[in-house]
Amino acid sequence: MKRRNFLKTTALAVTLSTFAAITAQAQSDDPVRIGYSMALTGIFSQAAPSQINAYALWAEQVNAAGGLEIAGGERRPVEFVSYDDQSNPANAVRIYEKLITQDKVDLLAAPWGTPMHLAIAPVLQRYKMPMVGNTAASVKLRELEPGYIWFTTSAIPDAMGRELAAFMKAEGVESAAILTNELPYSQEVRSFLIPALEEQGITVSVDQSYPPDIKDMTSVLVDVKSKEPDAVIALSYPADSFLFAGQAKELGVEAPFVLSLVGPTFDSYRKAFGAAVDGVVTAGHWSASQSDWPRAKPFFDAYLAKFGEEPDALDTALSYMSLEILQQAVATAGLDPEQLREAIASGTFETINGEVSFDGVQNAVTPTAWLQIQNSSLEIVWPDSIKTSDFAPKQGW
Amino acid sequence: MPGAATFPKGPLQMDIILSGQLLFSALVSGALYALVALGLNLVYGTLRLLNIAHGELVMIGAYTAFWMMTLFAVPPLISLPLAALLCAGLGWLLYFGIFRRLLRNPDLAARVEANSLILFYGISVILQNTTALMFTSSARGYAYLGNVITVGEVSMTGNRLLSLGVAGTLTIGMLLFLRFHIFGWSLRAVIERKEAARVVGVNVDQVQVITICAGFAVAGVAGVLVSMTEQITPFMGFPFTITAFVVIIVGGLGNIPSGILAGFALGFVETYGIALTSASYRSILIYGLFVTVLLIRPEGLFSRAVKS
Repeated sequence: MKRRNFLKTTALAVTLSTFAAITAQAQSDDPVRIGYSMALTGIFSQAAPSQINAYALWAEQVNAAGGLEIAGGERRPVEFVSYDDQSNPANAVRIYEKLITQDKVDLLAAPWGTPMHLAIAPVLQRYKMPMVGNTAASVKLRELEPGYIWFTTSAIPDAMGRELAAFMKAEGVESAAILTNELPYSQEVRSFLIPALEEQGITVSVDQSYPPDIKDMTSVLVDVKSKEPDAVIALSYPADSFLFAGQAKELGVEAPFVLSLVGPTFDSYRKAFGAAVDGVVTAGHWSASQSDWPRAKPFFDAYLAKFGEEPDALDTALSYMSLEILQQAVATAGLDPEQLREAIASGTFETINGEVSFDGVQNAVTPTAWLQIQNSSLEIVWPDSIKTSDFAPKQGW
Repeated sequence: MPGAATFPKGPLQMDIILSGQLLFSALVSGALYALVALGLNLVYGTLRLLNIAHGELVMIGAYTAFWMMTLFAVPPLISLPLAALLCAGLGWLLYFGIFRRLLRNPDLAARVEANSLILFYGISVILQNTTALMFTSSARGYAYLGNVITVGEVSMTGNRLLSLGVAGTLTIGMLLFLRFHIFGWSLRAVIERKEAARVVGVNVDQVQVITICAGFAVAGVAGVLVSMTEQITPFMGFPFTITAFVVIIVGGLGNIPSGILAGFALGFVETYGIALTSASYRSILIYGLFVTVLLIRPEGLFSRAVKS
């Protein structure tokens, strides 16, 4: 009997001490959990990898450097808690509520897309959890109550319309054909571009919208070609950016200024068309060749090494920036949501896209810019303040 | 004009509408639609299976071409038979794994249409997500025959010309095969009167397995053709499924020659419809045709009414 008691006590003591040891260790090795929802399936899923890859690369780099620095010098590894929102904003809302209330994650990262960001903003507000947004762009973002959400992008349609018209004017464009996908972002850009062109005295010779599922643009492009505009502006999405490039090349639609809105920043676009798409202008405000941003090139190289393709200059860059900002804010303010919110709202951050600080929900530093494919690389060609190369008129396809 | 909320577009000049350029485009899209729909129609006609996963076979064909080109520098022309074999193999597996048993049991065979719809929906989701897991859902693309060939006033990109050539040959070849080859006759017999075909000595089982393999293979071939001009993603297939269903319903379900005609008709409606109205009317034109056919000629635009 005695012996059995002794064994029991010893076992208990050993168990307890092991427990204590584990708990003590947990203080520093316990990972910081970062939650997000992502459109892994459904209509937006094609965009997910460019964002998830940025997150994965960031986490790998942070963990390799000994973990995420938390105010006070402590470092803890990071891990993600993520769910598929099936490209449905209502699911994103439920997921962020679950991440905050049930999973009790330490930090939040952004989902993909404008509709998701708009949908979860009230959730962040309600639970007072800060989140740096990334892959969203719409003038509607400005209507959000500032406080717990910020956006790294400077590709907001009103500024884009204004800057594009000024850019075209500066390059001597006098007439333009505009082809617009019926999806909201393209339509929003168009609605600001048309009055801006008018203001700059640029004639709009063709103005056509087309559905996202278009499979043949020949008749539209034949019309464009017959008008011989100086600029062909395709406010396109990835699928129709491929269609536009292929068919504009086939028909020999030649204009010195050719723009395709979303798609040319994809590695696959340049792989599919090679030298034919040299000279195409596209939306974006990041380039690996901007030497004023010391973090840009190392990010590009690390991404290329890890994934075997170039980062998307739009979504991947925005996503990575959002985590750089979060990382630097945590280093100064720690994990307390209120202090973190304060740090993000008032701080200035070093990112792959240069210095960033926020005014309300918006990136107050990065100018709205335009990229051009030059020798299969993306160069910033507008505005002068951050350009990495001069605009070169497109020489055929 | 600038600043106006909408910019109504007048019709193009007659000489543009009558130009060879539009004709070429209409033929390229038409041939592709006809080819994609042909595979679906074969499978529906002989086995009464509603293959909602048809577009995923197109996607598999596209990925086959992409990986062969990217990893081994094998051009799409050589990937064509590979993709066809791969998809045919999938058809063979499904037939012997699932459908043969279902079709042999008269109770199950009676419900096979509805059941196959759900089954193929599942297969479609599995194929999409397996592809996304294996290759990520990043868009892919490769360059092949991107040079422009100009004949007279018509400019043609090499890959679109190849696409037209392959799709045109296959669809016309299939028409001739059905008309003149003994197996083509058996196939038509199985489509039209399965029991009667069995009575006169057609090996229905054999016809069915060959047809499902052929139907799947054709979709794989279409995928290789599509991959030369479009971006490749795990989710690219669904629009092709929809287009294929529109085509075979417009043509008449299970009627192979009508389906092929309807594919070309859809290509012409799309290209010339947009030229005469505006690109934003594309869906209205296509689904307008679809609904009109269902209302006026539910047996299919080019079908002779079936006398029962």
